[in-house]
Amino acid sequence: MNQVLPVPSESATPGLDTGPNGSVALSALSIVYSYGRNPALRGVSVELRHGEILAVTGPSGSGKSTLMLCLAGILVPDVGDVSFGGRIISAESEAERSKLRRSQFGVLFQFGQLVPELTAAENVALPLLLAGIKRGAALSAASTWLERFCVADLAGSRPPEMSGGQAQRVAAARAMVTEPTVLFADEPTGALDALSGEHLMTQIVRVAREAGTSVVIITHDAKIAAYAEREIVVRDGMIENGTGV
Amino acid sequence: MNTKQHPDTGPSFASTLRLAAAGGRTDHVRITLTTIGSAVAAVMLLTAVSVGFITDNDGPYRLNLLAEPGLRPGVMTAILLLTVPLVVFVGLCSRVGAPARDRRLSMFRMAGATPADTTRIVALETGLAATIGAIVGAGVFLIGRTLLDGTQLANYRIVYADGSTGNEQGQTHLLPVDVTIPLWAIAATIAIIAIGATVASIVALRKVRISPFAVTRTVPTNPPTRTAAILFLGGTTGLLVVGASAARFDGQLAPLVALSFVLFVCCVVGLIMGSASVASATGRFLAPRVSRPDLLIAARRMIAAPFTSSRGSASVLLVALIGGAIQGTRANFLAYTDPGDTFYADTFALIDSVLIIAIALAAASLLVTSAESIVERRRTLAVLAAGGTPRTVLARAAIAEVLVPLIPAVLLASTAGLLASQAFFGTTVSGFDETTNRQTITPIHIPWDRLIILNAGITATALAITSISLIFLARSTRPTELRAAA
Repeated sequence: MNQVLPVPSESATPGLDTGPNGSVALSALSIVYSYGRNPALRGVSVELRHGEILAVTGPSGSGKSTLMLCLAGILVPDVGDVSFGGRIISAESEAERSKLRRSQFGVLFQFGQLVPELTAAENVALPLLLAGIKRGAALSAASTWLERFCVADLAGSRPPEMSGGQAQRVAAARAMVTEPTVLFADEPTGALDALSGEHLMTQIVRVAREAGTSVVIITHDAKIAAYAEREIVVRDGMIENGTGV
Repeated sequence: MNTKQHPDTGPSFASTLRLAAAGGRTDHVRITLTTIGSAVAAVMLLTAVSVGFITDNDGPYRLNLLAEPGLRPGVMTAILLLTVPLVVFVGLCSRVGAPARDRRLSMFRMAGATPADTTRIVALETGLAATIGAIVGAGVFLIGRTLLDGTQLANYRIVYADGSTGNEQGQTHLLPVDVTIPLWAIAATIAIIAIGATVASIVALRKVRISPFAVTRTVPTNPPTRTAAILFLGGTTGLLVVGASAARFDGQLAPLVALSFVLFVCCVVGLIMGSASVASATGRFLAPRVSRPDLLIAARRMIAAPFTSSRGSASVLLVALIGGAIQGTRANFLAYTDPGDTFYADTFALIDSVLIIAIALAAASLLVTSAESIVERRRTLAVLAAGGTPRTVLARAAIAEVLVPLIPAVLLASTAGLLASQAFFGTTVSGFDETTNRQTITPIHIPWDRLIILNAGITATALAITSISLIFLARSTRPTELRAAA
């Protein structure tokens, strides 16, 4: 897709040194985060390598989604740093982090993420339009990505007309359309049946490997975690199995 | 407890009340807004009532509009018209947080409540809030009357028995605070507000089906373009024709006024229905063409929910239509009046002040619809923000969704009002030039300058008030919304 579109590439973002496959893409050092008086993360350190697929598992309320939100720069940890490509993103402004997420990160949630009034193609094209790419080129790229997730026939459909599995594949196409360095997926199959979940995960893993994208999967499902190359377990706001590094 | 041993009489009034009050923050906001709106409506309606009850023993008043008995029905009508945007506002307030409330009602259904029980809960919530608001408003009105009850020596206008007018000096009231309003009139006003609000809340539920498992809301997506066009064009053309042929009615004012009123209503209904068509058509034009994400989101919203913006813009359009008509009427009256007599100039200056209040009240409806639209989609907006969509893009989309269809509709409404009033009251002034001993006919200029100011004022107010709704956008895109259920 990079040949067709001027999608922001890793090297196009100043100050980023994303490095070759296997080197550290994203890291968190001793991060602490609380919701009011309730601590959600208590000194978590994690490293994610380029092209790596990492599963973050743990029971409900363990802090795994909060960890993902901190890693993606959506939440800013109370204590500790999150670094990406040589930048300490946790110290940056909301505007800078938004720009980073738009160009370098893809996010995929459990449900309710597509704009219901936009067509599937427009939903997928949205991050490209936000980057200033012309409508025709953005829609063309969107259709390529819809095809890669086997939902090209839904290009003109709107989310309310889709099944949960179809909507989730469209959302995955949107998350991948900018060819992000890291894809964050928070319980991506949580609202799907087992078969649809497996199909979606297979597609995400295949597409991420093809694009060299690192993936952070938040899940409480051991079957979904099995798609990852490495698994860390979060319990009571701390990493249970080792250091996460 | 074994319920089989008790006859099933449904929930008691106290239980229904408890269930109605069991809501969260947005429910409390809705109830508070309904109460405040009802209180203000009570004050305004009682003001209109007090004008209606002015007798020869009351007054005199410094306000010229009240001094002339012939102008009092006009004052009452103006106050009642001013109440319309307020009533629309109260109606819209009853929708704040309604989706969350309906989901709560669905859970009540799951626990065994019947459809009638859920309707009763909604009616009780609105009815009680409106009753309390109306009683408080009546109290404020009566206390305000007492506080303002004072006279001062001033000149006042008087209409003599032969119909001529003059100025006299004496102890005067500013407002009709000395008028005796019968208790039944106060009670009736409170009852009208309470019953009206309750009925409106029940009617608002007609497109919502609350089952134990889900809430289904019917959202019309195809606005009736043809009907709207027929009503608007028919109403406007009718007013122009009636205006042009007014002389043929030979002084019979009643049928003329009745016909004009019907045509005016057609015009307003057509315009309000048409604003949804304008929104839909604008959306259809823009959606396949724009590259800007804010315009794309706004355009698709206009297609998917054209009535969302038209609900809020209805009272704005009504005010624009009346505002245009006032400017046309003003130009006409001033053209007929001796420049030395400032009575009509002062009167229209006062009406313009009322118009400004009406614009602000009407635009408040836009705030409610815009805020409701943002809050309803907060999870989608939070996900977009999480994905890196700048809040400014989402803010521009929210504003464009309201303003893009509103501006052409406001232009249409105000121009129609202006031209209709000019046609109605005439476009020329006939006089007599004593130097040439000939009759003169002077054309009345169309006050385009005032129309531009009116449209600019409405647009600026709409923009300013819609921008306030962006406070909800900042809240709705917080990461905590990502943790909330859709």
